[in-house]
Amino acid sequence: MQKEMAYSFPDEVLKHVFSFIQSDKDRNAVSLVCKSWYEIERWCRRKVFIGNCYAVSPRMVIRRFPEVRSIELKGKPHFADFNLVPDGWGGYVLQWIAEMAGAYPWLGEIRLKRMVVTDESLELIAKSFKNFKVLVLFSCEGFSTDGLAAIAASCKNLRELDLRESEVDDLSGHWLAQFPETCTSLVSLNISCLGSDEVSFSALERLVDRCPNLRSLQLNRAVTLDKIANILRRAPQLVDFGTGNYAAELQPDVFSNLAGAFSSCKELKSLSGFWDVVPAYLPALYSICPRLTSLNLSYATIQSPDLIKLVSHCPRLQRLLVLDYVEDSGLEELASSCKDLQELRVFPSDPFGVEPNVSLTEQGLVAVSLGCPKLQSVLYFCRRMSNAALVTIAQNCPNLTRFRLCIIEPKTPDYLTLDPLDAGFGAIVEHCKDLRRLSLSGLLTDHVFEYIGTYGKKLEMLSVAFAGDSDLGLHHVLSGCESLRKLEIRDCPFGDKALLANAAKLETMRSLWMSSCAVSFGACKLLGQKMPKLNVEVIDETEPPDSRPESYPVDKLYIYKSVAGPRFDMPPFVWSMDEAVKILH
Amino acid sequence: MELQLGLALPPPPLIPIETFDLNSYGNYETREALGTNALSWPLLKLGPADNDINNIHHHNSSSSSSSSGGGAGCKKRSFDEAPFFDEKRNVPKTLHLLLWTNQPNDEDDDPSNVLHENSSSAIFKNDGEGLVGWPPVKTWRKKVHHQIPNGGAENNRLPAVENGIGGRASKSTYVKVKMEGVPIARKIDLSVHHSFEGLTNTLMRMFGISDGNRKSFKLTYQDREGDRLLAEDVPWRTFIRSLKCLKLIRSRG
Repeated sequence: MQKEMAYSFPDEVLKHVFSFIQSDKDRNAVSLVCKSWYEIERWCRRKVFIGNCYAVSPRMVIRRFPEVRSIELKGKPHFADFNLVPDGWGGYVLQWIAEMAGAYPWLGEIRLKRMVVTDESLELIAKSFKNFKVLVLFSCEGFSTDGLAAIAASCKNLRELDLRESEVDDLSGHWLAQFPETCTSLVSLNISCLGSDEVSFSALERLVDRCPNLRSLQLNRAVTLDKIANILRRAPQLVDFGTGNYAAELQPDVFSNLAGAFSSCKELKSLSGFWDVVPAYLPALYSICPRLTSLNLSYATIQSPDLIKLVSHCPRLQRLLVLDYVEDSGLEELASSCKDLQELRVFPSDPFGVEPNVSLTEQGLVAVSLGCPKLQSVLYFCRRMSNAALVTIAQNCPNLTRFRLCIIEPKTPDYLTLDPLDAGFGAIVEHCKDLRRLSLSGLLTDHVFEYIGTYGKKLEMLSVAFAGDSDLGLHHVLSGCESLRKLEIRDCPFGDKALLANAAKLETMRSLWMSSCAVSFGACKLLGQKMPKLNVEVIDETEPPDSRPESYPVDKLYIYKSVAGPRFDMPPFVWSMDEAVKILH
Repeated sequence: MELQLGLALPPPPLIPIETFDLNSYGNYETREALGTNALSWPLLKLGPADNDINNIHHHNSSSSSSSSGGGAGCKKRSFDEAPFFDEKRNVPKTLHLLLWTNQPNDEDDDPSNVLHENSSSAIFKNDGEGLVGWPPVKTWRKKVHHQIPNGGAENNRLPAVENGIGGRASKSTYVKVKMEGVPIARKIDLSVHHSFEGLTNTLMRMFGISDGNRKSFKLTYQDREGDRLLAEDVPWRTFIRSLKCLKLIRSRG
């Protein structure tokens, strides 16, 4: 009887039902119900997310999901953001584009993060996909404005072009003029990363003029303050705006023009940019501040009093990114003005200075935790911390999902007691039951990892640096954190024991990065040999790891699960432990 | 030593690597130790020798009893439980943690030195400019902080830079530029340039070379290994990452 029920729905009905199921997790579950559901589901899956471009091959994806319209790929490990991954490591998108060009003529959306994208790839995208709509290049590199010109020229229905935080070889600003006059479909344009002094501003203005659906526009630093008013008047429907340069000599007519332009944007909720800020121009924003939910001032080198004035006008603020010029006093003001705050990121203005240059301490964060009960996401750079403060923060904000603390000097103890900060971070994981992401810093022993392993049941990503005493620390994490997907470790005394003892765990995770730790080459080989579902890669730029004894620690280690086997595009300084084994035998 | 999986290892290397029963470790239940709220230490039970290892940095673990009720657990003594690791193994102490045997080694090969060297080498890798990738701030954020904080800066101008006393030096983006035939070297800020064109323009201006004469010069650079290379032979990013200093030479012919 039950069998018949499964077959009693025609495929179209099931397809229709499945079309309401968007999340990958749910789709994957659906595909496991029975063979016919697997088949139906795979033919109607339109969106694919691949968290590690080397975990699977393009061919495998195409084979299973023949009708994909939207793909998201991530390449390099997160620590690449901090120059820990050498140039040439990998993450090339070209092969993916080439294969998809043939298989997915209707591909409309490509989102890439930390991948190497060449002009050739961009040209191929422009040529191959007639219905191309969305290109997001997040923290990518390897391309120039020539590639962008190809995209602009060919993609007739382009909706989104977002280059956030990418490194672009900015050859000329004229690529913007390549958008044909017939292109009126842009909804989102983010060129904030471009360095050129010669953004073709007139082309930009005309583009903005003819795109009535433009909701999100992030200019680059080269665009001067006096140009902002022109742009805003052409796009009063903007929801999200990034200024360029926010500096000019104070002139009353420029000011009033700017203030007027901002006030005409009734939908504006999010602001960013603000390079080179002249504080006197900040009041031009006051008319829209009451509506602002997101403010990125992380490039604005303005001092605390000006920041306080601005922030006190924004009672609806949910997201604030700011430099540590805000100081404890600024954060106290934030705590009293912005009760809806969900996300706070405080960046260091002088990350390499030895002495503190601003009065920003743990007190600022404690104040925000007290005043902002909806706080969920924290990224905080500071120079001192105490267990007491961390415990207070944990108790005030049990809803934290992301907590990243960077105490600038490695191994800094609790400044009050000189203890390790184990108890403080322990309180964070204990109280914040939904914590998904955690970054540690300061003086930490194996104890903190015991807490994390015990309480961090929902923890998906953990970043560790200069912490721990022994393999016990790593073992706690690998054996205790059930939801762990990404683990990145640098400069910790973790060696072979914990890794080998928890080898099976690695197959349940997306990836593990360890650099400047104590994992031996022999252990890497062993892992590579015994765990065929893992790619074990050793990175060493100075010499081949097998030119030294096997007990010698490897410089950098990147382990990730993969069904595609070892990759073929490794540079000379990356060794796959699969291959090493093949050579041995 | 053989793994319980029944697979023999290749002939033991010079320094034997500890091998483990992958099955039994993976099954270890940490939960059973959590009968009470007290976060007591015997979550993982270690032999006495490992006790020393855990005190390698002499962190006084007993003082961290400020944790929520986990005080009793934070003492060394609790390590004296039934060993989690096989007692019979030779677990060396403290600094020799990485030296898995008692065989003497060259100092160069001594892995215990290597760990030390690894952490300090991170400092030297960056040519004394500080730890690589620490603090974890993205490259393009570092540039912001070189501004003079009065909001009026149009170009990045770096304040005096060096702090060579083993601490973190301010990240200097200036490199020396020499021109053939000119005795005095200049310095140029790389962080404001993003292409060879821009860089060359600045250099031409700096050395007063007119547009007409531009073609008679070539831009070369010396990389980290000391090799001299033509700047335009490599992609911009490679150039930026590996260059140590620049030189403008007159092109022959």
